[in-house]
Amino acid sequence: MTAARYVVNEIKGYHRFVKFLIALVAIAAVASLARFVFGLGPTTNLNDTYPWGLWISFDVVTAVPLAAGAFTLGAIVHCFHIKKLEPLVRPAIVTGFLGYSLVCIGLVLDLGQPHKGWHVLRYWNPHSPMFEVSMCVMAYTTVLFLEFLSPVAEKFGWHVPMRVLRWLEMPLVILAAAISTLHQSSLGTFFLIVVDKLHNLWYNPLLPLLFWVSAICAGMCIIILEATASHKWMGQPNEGVLLRTLAKVLPWTLGLYIGLRTFSLLALVEGPFFDRPGLTIAFFLEFGVGFVLPCIMFTQKSVREDDRRRAIAASLVIFGLVLNRFNVSMIGMMNPRHIYLPSIIETLVTLGIIAAHILFFVLIAKYFPIFEHHPETVDYTIPDSFHKLDGGPSVEVKAASHGG
Amino acid sequence: MSSRKDFTKDKAFLIDMTKCTGCRGCQVACKQWNQLDAEKTEFFSGEGYQNPPAMSEKTFTRIKFRDYQKNGQNEFAFYKEMCMHCNEPACASVCPVGAFEKTAEGPVIYKADRCIGCRFCMIACPFGIPKYEWSKAFPLVKKCTGCYSRVKEGMKPACATTCPTAISYGPRDEMIKEAERRLTDYPDRYIHKVYGKDQAGGTSVIYLTSLPFDELGFKPVTMRPLPGYTWQALRLVPAAFLTVGGGLSAISWINHRKDRLKQEREEAEAAQQPNETKED
Repeated sequence: MTAARYVVNEIKGYHRFVKFLIALVAIAAVASLARFVFGLGPTTNLNDTYPWGLWISFDVVTAVPLAAGAFTLGAIVHCFHIKKLEPLVRPAIVTGFLGYSLVCIGLVLDLGQPHKGWHVLRYWNPHSPMFEVSMCVMAYTTVLFLEFLSPVAEKFGWHVPMRVLRWLEMPLVILAAAISTLHQSSLGTFFLIVVDKLHNLWYNPLLPLLFWVSAICAGMCIIILEATASHKWMGQPNEGVLLRTLAKVLPWTLGLYIGLRTFSLLALVEGPFFDRPGLTIAFFLEFGVGFVLPCIMFTQKSVREDDRRRAIAASLVIFGLVLNRFNVSMIGMMNPRHIYLPSIIETLVTLGIIAAHILFFVLIAKYFPIFEHHPETVDYTIPDSFHKLDGGPSVEVKAASHGG
Repeated sequence: MSSRKDFTKDKAFLIDMTKCTGCRGCQVACKQWNQLDAEKTEFFSGEGYQNPPAMSEKTFTRIKFRDYQKNGQNEFAFYKEMCMHCNEPACASVCPVGAFEKTAEGPVIYKADRCIGCRFCMIACPFGIPKYEWSKAFPLVKKCTGCYSRVKEGMKPACATTCPTAISYGPRDEMIKEAERRLTDYPDRYIHKVYGKDQAGGTSVIYLTSLPFDELGFKPVTMRPLPGYTWQALRLVPAAFLTVGGGLSAISWINHRKDRLKQEREEAEAAQQPNETKED
């Protein structure tokens, strides 16, 4: 009773926006319940022509690259040893962990037989990109969970897990990058099979590579947006100096993407590109506004150093990535005479998933040391509860105190 | 997924659309053998007497009607829609749990007990054949079984058994030979092409027609087996994993070592000059 009252009081103290998010999540929960009661047909606008809709296009195909910040930043900080960016790593990991958990929820809603989802582990089909992605998403969600455990262990003062996790940090970072490379690209492989259905503007054999490179770009931009937003609205310290460094990398990765994309269009695909005006507009919005324009912006020092303009350029990349994934997985395959639009329930569920992401991020940042993380200040020693070491100096204790 | 390369002895349908009378006995036989529910139909909802309105979870095969004029006369042409039972099926290659299997006899069968309902097969199939039980809360995929239960026991599929004129059923190489014989014997009657010989890398359903395929509603598809399109990327997965993992490990080892050496050098320098400012 008191615990419940404590929770209620705690929630009453939240900001109005957080309460709004809670409402959105609750509505989505009801909407997803409707999916299980009434079935996919009546609750969604999916049909035999459009077996995949908003839930696959956004909740899976788009949400996965949007959560790519965790592995990208992990690699930048720990492998390329740009240590000053470390304060950005934890928020990125929380975003990644939330993102992937919600991808799993989105998938469960979309599967016809969610109770048989574990069959992927039992009947392997290595020829299937879907098998590849499911295995990777499961593995990577586990990795992210372990990485996410660090702040939790810190909060509750679990010393042994803290040491173990600190020791596992490097292997986990490398594993995360390797697994992410596989499934980010395999999401592109999904659409290599729709050879006669996907429009020439998007179908090309380089899709997996393009998906991977664009995911890296988007991951970094999400970090920029997130840090800017949490500085502005959550009273977190301004990480502008660090974001400037990150923004310096972006023209290179975006440039690589633009180069690969141009090459793939000019050299690897034949056939009419601009035969359908709607798709032509979608393409130029995606590629011009979403990739080329921000790439040019990020080359400007004035953009990289200005918080607002940097955030605008980053949001353009996010816009480009989202539109790209929708173009590949939905719009580029649409029959102009028979258009798919998501139903209200589909829309509410997806909105709820986005709201849940922001909500949990805000709550986790409120209760766990996400932003205040400075590894040099954390005490990674294991307390000598049994007074075994009191006798004399021990090598282990010395090693432990070097942890930071 | 099957890894065999020889499909000549698979059982295949040879469907000669010029001999089809549009009686739709095949549709009825299919519903009977597979015990599929009836659908709400309407006269003249499509061209001619075409019914039901679409292929669905309850309709595995359907005769499409096409009205056209030849020498000032009204003519009918037909196309039998059904699963093509590809030699190398896209559905089988993309299914994460291997719920589709190209059997040695020829039919591509679906194992409902494995299916998780992801609908990738529906996206991947170049012919748009797998359909979904949209009305159910926990739907499964439905498609033509090639009457595997009959074929296994040495019988012909229900539609092929019922059809009075157009469908022959037998080993794929013989069916192709027969189709080519008809093309040479009656060059005026047919479009000089055998649909299904190379489409999607070859299928176990082969058509002869008098009208161009696209006019009858045949889908334009690639001549390459579809699984190859994804496999050319997927086969790189182990290499990509090792390259990224190994590469990053090497890079981090080098960088950490550089840092450690730098620190050691600094410490050594600090030890040599103890008089200078103390640390901390």
